[in-house]
Amino acid sequence: MPVVSNVTCPVCGSFCDDIEITVKNDVIVKVKNACAMGEAKFLNYASHRQTKPLIRKNGELVEVSLKEAVQKAAEILASAKYPILYGWSNTSCEAIRVGLELAEEVGGVIDNTSTVCHGPSILSIQDIGISSCTLGQLRHRADLIFYWGSNPWSAHPRHIDRYTTFAEGRFQKSAWRGYLSRLTGILSKKRLHRAVNLGLGRQTPSPPETELRLPSTLLQNKRKMIVVDVRKTRSAEIADYFLQVKPNKDYELLQALRMLVRDEELDVDKVTGIPVETLEEIVEIMIGCELGILFFGLGLTMSQGKHRNIDAALSLVRDLNRRTKFLIMPMRGHFNVTGVNVVFTWQTGYPYAVDFSHGYPRYNPGETSVVDILCRGESDAALVVASDPVAHFPNVAAQKLVEKPLVVIDPQVTPTSIMADVVIPSAFVGIEVEGTAYRMDHVPLPLKKVVEPPTTCLSDKEVLQKILGEVRRLRRNHN
Amino acid sequence: MLITLRPKYSFKVPVEAECINPSLFAEKSTMEIAKLQVWEGNRKRTLSDLFKITRETPNPLEKVTIKIAGDVNKVRRIGSKMSTGEITVNGNAGMHLGEEMKGGIIKVTGNADSWTGSMMKDGTIEIMGDAGDYIGAPYRGSTQGMGGGIIIIHGNAGNEVGCYMKTGLIRIGGNVGQFVGVHMRNGTIQVKGNSEGRAGAQMLKGKIVISGCIPSILPSFTIDRITPTVKVDGEKVEGPFYRFIGDLAENGNGKLFVSKAKNPNLGVFEEYL
Ligand code: SF4
Repeated sequence: MPVVSNVTCPVCGSFCDDIEITVKNDVIVKVKNACAMGEAKFLNYASHRQTKPLIRKNGELVEVSLKEAVQKAAEILASAKYPILYGWSNTSCEAIRVGLELAEEVGGVIDNTSTVCHGPSILSIQDIGISSCTLGQLRHRADLIFYWGSNPWSAHPRHIDRYTTFAEGRFQKSAWRGYLSRLTGILSKKRLHRAVNLGLGRQTPSPPETELRLPSTLLQNKRKMIVVDVRKTRSAEIADYFLQVKPNKDYELLQALRMLVRDEELDVDKVTGIPVETLEEIVEIMIGCELGILFFGLGLTMSQGKHRNIDAALSLVRDLNRRTKFLIMPMRGHFNVTGVNVVFTWQTGYPYAVDFSHGYPRYNPGETSVVDILCRGESDAALVVASDPVAHFPNVAAQKLVEKPLVVIDPQVTPTSIMADVVIPSAFVGIEVEGTAYRMDHVPLPLKKVVEPPTTCLSDKEVLQKILGEVRRLRRNHN
Repeated sequence: MLITLRPKYSFKVPVEAECINPSLFAEKSTMEIAKLQVWEGNRKRTLSDLFKITRETPNPLEKVTIKIAGDVNKVRRIGSKMSTGEITVNGNAGMHLGEEMKGGIIKVTGNADSWTGSMMKDGTIEIMGDAGDYIGAPYRGSTQGMGGGIIIIHGNAGNEVGCYMKTGLIRIGGNVGQFVGVHMRNGTIQVKGNSEGRAGAQMLKGKIVISGCIPSILPSFTIDRITPTVKVDGEKVEGPFYRFIGDLAENGNGKLFVSKAKNPNLGVFEEYL
């Protein structure tokens, strides 16, 4: 059976590129090296799909030819006064490029999923700047790893394993042995606690989640990991230390850490419930590291304060660089959400929320971001590509989205495609068609084709090119 | 000279009308004003496509007043870059009202949206109702905020009032959201109501006066003293106020005044005096 090696995994932002796929009769039968999420996608991608284009007629979605669907989609977009084009982070850079051309042609607002994930990070990076790196550098050199408001164990399952704490680097050894002994300790503590409770017939609460005293492992000269979050996640369990922050208080904590890094005194004993002495010890560990990295996730970008939380995080890293070497990186979610920002920027100058209604790109998240436009009820048509806003947007926005004509290009059947007026199913990029995507550290990698797509499904790029061609034809006829 | 604009219908998609500017209208005949270009979504329109325009000319030498009779909450950039004259909006106004304004007066009887008085240099904006976020703030990525003039909002305002403000005065009659005076370089912000917190975050200089409640003070501020009164634009505001200095995480020397009577929770700071 043919085995395709070095396949990239089109699921999360870690974008692993060492997957081995075994194919039999053009069907994927075995996946090696991927995590459960990656494996599930490769093995089950085709189990929930629709392969024929659909148009809503008399309230029902009915099968039509691709030509008819493309024509209808083009008519909807060309006649709109303020259309929105949304999605993009689950498709290839090549398709995104055509999408931008289409947005310019129809005078619409094009936005991507970073508007609801790391958009605030981008706003802050524009304000403050960022000192970042590639994941390879961290794998070999980072000795202090922070995950703030991010749970890689569940959301980027191989991140810790491939790039940080458990990775075997050239200058830093993997810390998985320490984790094993810690895990055994935690489990026996839990068992003992349960046994005592059972014996005494009582129900005592489990011990507090944040240990205020720092463990001795943090002082050792080896790789260590600290997780900052509002609750004890799976990632927090494997970390050397878990710092619990009160919900929506990250900004205060970050500013307090900045004060301590700058040798300033604090006028309080506790910050968000954490004693200042504990923070002082953490800051000492930060300053004492050889190369530190702060990964941050949606826990920071989407909690109260949004881009100002990132302002503080970026500034903390900037301050730390006066004393040691420290870097920072957003934990991007979808496999090509970094790519979508890159392609948007090289084509228009702006990373997301780009408004082409005046014929040239303009950018002002809050004004030109899709969720805000929808909530204000300003758009009059929408194209959604490789995304499911109906399931993920706030209720009002989802409602306004489906009230107006809606075109969906997606290989999967989603709540958004079920509510659409035109559905054009496409091929799965990274499985059935090739392309390019960017890993979370801005490294571009190829998406491979391992099996053939159904004959009725074109790639996102080809579908978009057809719609663009049809829009141009309509425009010419109109003029 | 009084020019009245009446919206012909209620706008659904955003309308960009930076031509609604007394300085520009002053040089034009009614016909020319009617032909001024505006955007309705991605369509080019003329001002007369969207508004019924009437002109009363008792004295052509008088300063130009534009009256907008009706709700224009979808119309953006009204009074953008204006330097003289007056605009009154009888209703709600859209985003970027008075952006980069250099002089003159804008009055709104209803509410204003976000980025009101964005990067304004001089002149006065008065809003009788509420306003959105980013009052006086610069465009995304810029650090050049409000550089002069006065913004008065009688109702409430949203987040990040006076972001990157350089000079000038912002008065809020009601409450404000989070991050009032964030990244402030100088100038004065007065809030008569409550603040949702994080006041003066990352400020370098300037003065923020909060007469209502605030849930907490950022750890990067230090208490300096208690003052009985504080002056805002020459006017005395009765206190007493806690005076904090910050944002020390930015090496800042901004002054944050917070009412003592309204914030018994801040009594803990008194031991550091
Ligand atoms: S970590 Fe992410 S990219 Fe890597 S195999 Fe798992 S889902 Fe795929």
